[in-house]
Amino acid sequence: MAKEQVHKDIVIIGAGMAGLTAAMYAGRMNLDVLVLENGIVGGQIANATGIENYPGFISVKGADLISTLQQQAENFGAVIDEFDTIKKVTLRENPKIIETEEKIYLADVVIIASGMNRRKLPLPEERKFAGCGVHYCELCDGHMYNGKIIAVMGGGNAALDAANFLTKYTDKLYLIHRSEFRADEVTQEKVRQNPKIEIMLQTEIKALHGAGKLENIDILDKKSGETKNIAVDGIFVNIGVVPNTELFKDELKLTASGRIAAGEDCKTEIEGVFAAGDVREKEIRQLTTAAADGTTAALLAEKLLRNFSKKEKA
Amino acid sequence: MVTVYSITNCPWCDKTKKYLASKGVEFEVRNIEENEDFAKECLQLSGDTMVPVTTVDGKNFVLGFDKAKIDELLAG
Repeated sequence: MAKEQVHKDIVIIGAGMAGLTAAMYAGRMNLDVLVLENGIVGGQIANATGIENYPGFISVKGADLISTLQQQAENFGAVIDEFDTIKKVTLRENPKIIETEEKIYLADVVIIASGMNRRKLPLPEERKFAGCGVHYCELCDGHMYNGKIIAVMGGGNAALDAANFLTKYTDKLYLIHRSEFRADEVTQEKVRQNPKIEIMLQTEIKALHGAGKLENIDILDKKSGETKNIAVDGIFVNIGVVPNTELFKDELKLTASGRIAAGEDCKTEIEGVFAAGDVREKEIRQLTTAAADGTTAALLAEKLLRNFSKKEKA
Repeated sequence: MVTVYSITNCPWCDKTKKYLASKGVEFEVRNIEENEDFAKECLQLSGDTMVPVTTVDGKNFVLGFDKAKIDELLAG
């Protein structure tokens, strides 16, 4: 049976901070807006246990911030579909075509806010231990390691926050990072003050061992060149992110890092296609800049739609 | 009756529950963090305490959020 075709003023791909902000603004301008999300509404920040650098909040859980923003967007008429999956996009036609498992959406404007995913642990044993020793969501899987030994891999804010969070389950946590921390000073200080965390800088995980479940790991001390084996039940990997641009690689120019090339106006090389949030190539990627991108993309999209409308009338 | 084993803060558990609700499926939530018996049941069923775990009959189950597999489970 042929898929149903549905027209939308704007289709937003991704329901993270950028996508939901764009949806809220577009909804407020009475545009017919659909947000498609393949993963979790909220994206990366859905897992954030305490955000302390979003203006107006002393500290807020990522899930709570996103839930409120989702409600704001929906109150203004935006529809968020998190159960349909995008199969293909065709952006160089007008209207643009977004084909999902269930429908074909024809959109005058597309805002790509597909964000990023956590980078996988680059070891051959990763697949063997994924879900039974190697994890990427401390909020979801941390409880599996109550009273056990945990390692967190990474040196950014997200990794250090994860380490602090996970000490609610364990008395022994190794924080393993290949160089010096990139996290801000406030977050670093929290980790240094946490007696349950053993910081291991200039170290790298070289191998994972265990029968069925993870039991121990080999760690290389890059300064001494020595490798030692330590008992670890679970590793939470937080070693950066990769942009979600696979769907767009044949349609849009991607940068060397795999992000979408677009300026501060979020406009891509294709008229009517915007890139917003972490998926856009830019120097600073924060929640606040994602919200700013969503705002910019939605307002300029509305302006473009008005111009389309004027041309049609003329 | 559909049962979803979950924990309190778990985005994929929430997505599973929202999906079942969107299909009009009635389900019972068993929080394995708050109830040791539920944790034992979950471990016995899936061999692990990873969540969400969705089951209809207490024998067949879906680990994680997988729309196609949940649909298959519901179809029996």
